[in-house]
Amino acid sequence: MRIEARALCKSFTRLVNDKDKKSRKEEFFAVDHVDIDAHEGEILGVLGPNGAGKTTLLRMLGNLLEPGEGFVHIIDDKGERITDPIRIKSCIGYLSGNTRLYGRLSAREMMRTISEIYGMDEESAAARIDQIVEVLKMQDFVDNRIERLSTGQTQRANIARCLVHSPGIYIFDEPTLGLDILSSESIVNFMKSEKDAGRTVLYSTHYMEEAQYLCDRVIMMYKGRIIANASPDELMEQTKTDNLRETFRAIIDSGAKSAESEGEDA
Amino acid sequence: MRKKVIFSLYKKEMLDILRDKKTILMMIVIPLILYPLIFAGSMFLASSMLKASTSKSYMIGFENLADEQAMVDAFNRFKDEHDYSFIYYRPESGKDDEEEQLKQGNIDAYLIESVSDNKPYYEIAYLASETDSQTASGMIKDILQDIQKDATKEKIKELGLEPEAVLKPIDYTYRDLSSKEENAGYVVGMIVPFLLITSILMGALYPAIDATAGEKERGTLETLLTLPVKNLELIVAKFMATSTVAVGAAFLNLISMALMGFYMVSAGNMGSSSGIDLASFIPALIVTLLCVFTFAMFASAVCLSACIFARSFKEAQNFTTPVMLVFMVGGMAGMLPQLSLDPVTAMIPVVNIAMLITEIFKFHFELSQIAVVLLSNLAYTAVAVVIMGRLFSSENILFGDATVSLRLLENRSHMKEKQIPGMGDLVLVFAALIIIVLFGGGLLVLRFGLWGLVAEQLLIFAVTAAYAWYIKTDMKVVFHLHRPRITAMIAGILAWAGMYLLVQLLANLVVGLFPDLSQENAQVLTSLWEDSPMWLMVLSSALMPAVCEEFAFRGFMLGSFEFKFKPAVAVILTGLFFAAFHMSLLQFITIAPLGILLSYIVWKERSIFITMLLHFLNNLTSLLLEQYQEELTKKLPFLEGELDVTGVLIFLFAGVVLLGAGLLLMHAKKKESVAA
Repeated sequence: MRIEARALCKSFTRLVNDKDKKSRKEEFFAVDHVDIDAHEGEILGVLGPNGAGKTTLLRMLGNLLEPGEGFVHIIDDKGERITDPIRIKSCIGYLSGNTRLYGRLSAREMMRTISEIYGMDEESAAARIDQIVEVLKMQDFVDNRIERLSTGQTQRANIARCLVHSPGIYIFDEPTLGLDILSSESIVNFMKSEKDAGRTVLYSTHYMEEAQYLCDRVIMMYKGRIIANASPDELMEQTKTDNLRETFRAIIDSGAKSAESEGEDA
Repeated sequence: MRKKVIFSLYKKEMLDILRDKKTILMMIVIPLILYPLIFAGSMFLASSMLKASTSKSYMIGFENLADEQAMVDAFNRFKDEHDYSFIYYRPESGKDDEEEQLKQGNIDAYLIESVSDNKPYYEIAYLASETDSQTASGMIKDILQDIQKDATKEKIKELGLEPEAVLKPIDYTYRDLSSKEENAGYVVGMIVPFLLITSILMGALYPAIDATAGEKERGTLETLLTLPVKNLELIVAKFMATSTVAVGAAFLNLISMALMGFYMVSAGNMGSSSGIDLASFIPALIVTLLCVFTFAMFASAVCLSACIFARSFKEAQNFTTPVMLVFMVGGMAGMLPQLSLDPVTAMIPVVNIAMLITEIFKFHFELSQIAVVLLSNLAYTAVAVVIMGRLFSSENILFGDATVSLRLLENRSHMKEKQIPGMGDLVLVFAALIIIVLFGGGLLVLRFGLWGLVAEQLLIFAVTAAYAWYIKTDMKVVFHLHRPRITAMIAGILAWAGMYLLVQLLANLVVGLFPDLSQENAQVLTSLWEDSPMWLMVLSSALMPAVCEEFAFRGFMLGSFEFKFKPAVAVILTGLFFAAFHMSLLQFITIAPLGILLSYIVWKERSIFITMLLHFLNNLTSLLLEQYQEELTKKLPFLEGELDVTGVLIFLFAGVVLLGAGLLLMHAKKKESVAA
């Protein structure tokens, strides 16, 4: 399964002052005409400074936000194009720092509810849940209320949530933010194994080392636009740097400069 | 909508709600324990107070009595009839010092004798500020009445007549034809609606907050949105769960109340109500149950709509407080004797349920009314749920910082510069303005006349400006403080003049159709104008309103609406609120078009100064017309009396032409400047 998005835009309104000092509302593009292609067996990293539009982009790709313009389609393994938002959601496992879990439910109850919403029948759902519990080693706490779990256990429960419907595409928005080495390692390993199983993974992060290690390709965003789109190695070569952290800085700096000169032209 | 999805979401919501201890507490503990406690407590309190007041001995004294012993004997003779008990104060020194003793609290009341019209005259001295003294004085009055009656009978006997025949040449008594069931139903029907409405609200409130603001606060909402669920399915599931809890809470309340009722009947505490046929209440109970179900749905929908904008639990509680107040006031409708269930009141939410239950317990069954009440509640609920389904999808509510907020509650130093007021801010400011107009204004005008009007307008200005300052409003943008174009001024005057003519026509038409309307508050103002200097009239009735009301409406309100709604909606809403602010139906109809025009001009020209001028001209014209009406009608006799068809047509034509010309001028100029 692969994801194809064209001319994605999302604008919000904010206040600006005109030259003649009349203030008015202005549309401000959080995401400005972005094209995305993410393929099977690929981890695509989305990098960029705070406020670059990463989260808005990923939310649109996950159909949590409706695009202002443009479209998000999914092309399944048979080559069929999926356009219905509800069906698209069924193909995606979405995880971010903001997707918290219901504290008063147990992980098993939560997974059962999700399986019902995805329309899975009871038997296959139960089998799938048992399988997930085994893979993520959740046997000890799967029936405890989530509010009583440790941070690492909660994170595993959150991954389990995305797995229930065996999605073909994963979208992870800063999944390792604020986690310790062990917990973030489990997520990194999970993404790697899902990629190896031929799934599509989209992933945003501020940790450049992680991105360098994981990503087959990265896109860099600045002020709602994509200013770079290549593999980490290619980007490092282009900017003549030897790690992604410096590459990032170099690209963002040049992006800022070109944006400035563009502003002057206008 | 997919039933299966809704059902699994519903199951999840219920599991989530029922595992929350706070909900359980609200649902079960309060109705099952609190009611009996309140009932038992209040009964205990009442009976103990009754006992205390009757079994207690009161110290009373006599001052200046011709024959004190005779009075004491008389008191002793009659006190047993009333079950009163007295201790008589006799001053040790033999001198009357009762006043001193009463003030010190040593005696509760005393009797003073004097002579008036050649007969003994008694005063009962007591302290109205002391409960015991009040009780004692009442007791003395009862005894004096007995003595008076007795003396009257003696006198009549002395005259050789039959006292009973003279005192009561006719006699009367009551015959209560209502059954015991109806009597009991009357009492039950008074109390039950209020208790039911509040208990349903309490039941719905917590799960509603939990399911909306709670989800947002705990961050589970985004998780929910990753699932292939439609917004309407989500809302319906939340609505169903909230309704279930509300119905459950109401049910438990009903059971608790019924148990108390049975207990009181069987214990015979209600005296006359013993022997009630409880089975006769079954139809009433069935209708009440139907009411409970529909009202629980209605209350859930209202609570959810109120909470859906809130970002946090705390904010949701702020939003639901007004809902609670409205529900409680509405719940008391059943106790008001003036109100009755008619086709209009049957459509008013909350009030209709309260009144229906009251009526039902009086055994007044009218199927059409029951149907109207229940169906209107269902209709309101359905509309609310559908609207929420739409609102919930609006991303501002989910992810953006909602524009509905009360910034007053935030710390000023944390606020960013150049804020746009949110809907919460707007509601607060205009609630304050309405209070100023309703209470402050009235009092000020009564006390200070036209200066009161000036003060009222200054208050309107000051409150708006202070609030705007506190929340660091972007003054220039929100209040439209841009320099006006001269052409726009002229165009505005033309448009206003046209609209003024049209509004006069409209006013004539409305008064012709509904003559009652014209008698509203006009007299108050004209009576104020009498004997006032001209400049004060202009200041208080034209200049101040022009500046202050424009500042509040075309400034604060329109400026905030512009960021929330489409321009047309913002302009029309501002005009309507401005008209409603004048609190009179006639004025509403006539001011609304003017208000909309003024709002439009400000939106178009970004300058509030134009409409300040127009508002001033408008009020000045009305003032002058009112003042010089007599002279005017002398010189221009056609103004008097009803307008004929040609007059109407001339007015209409002139109005439309002026209005059109003004608007065209405003637009034409604008286009030119854009092109240049």
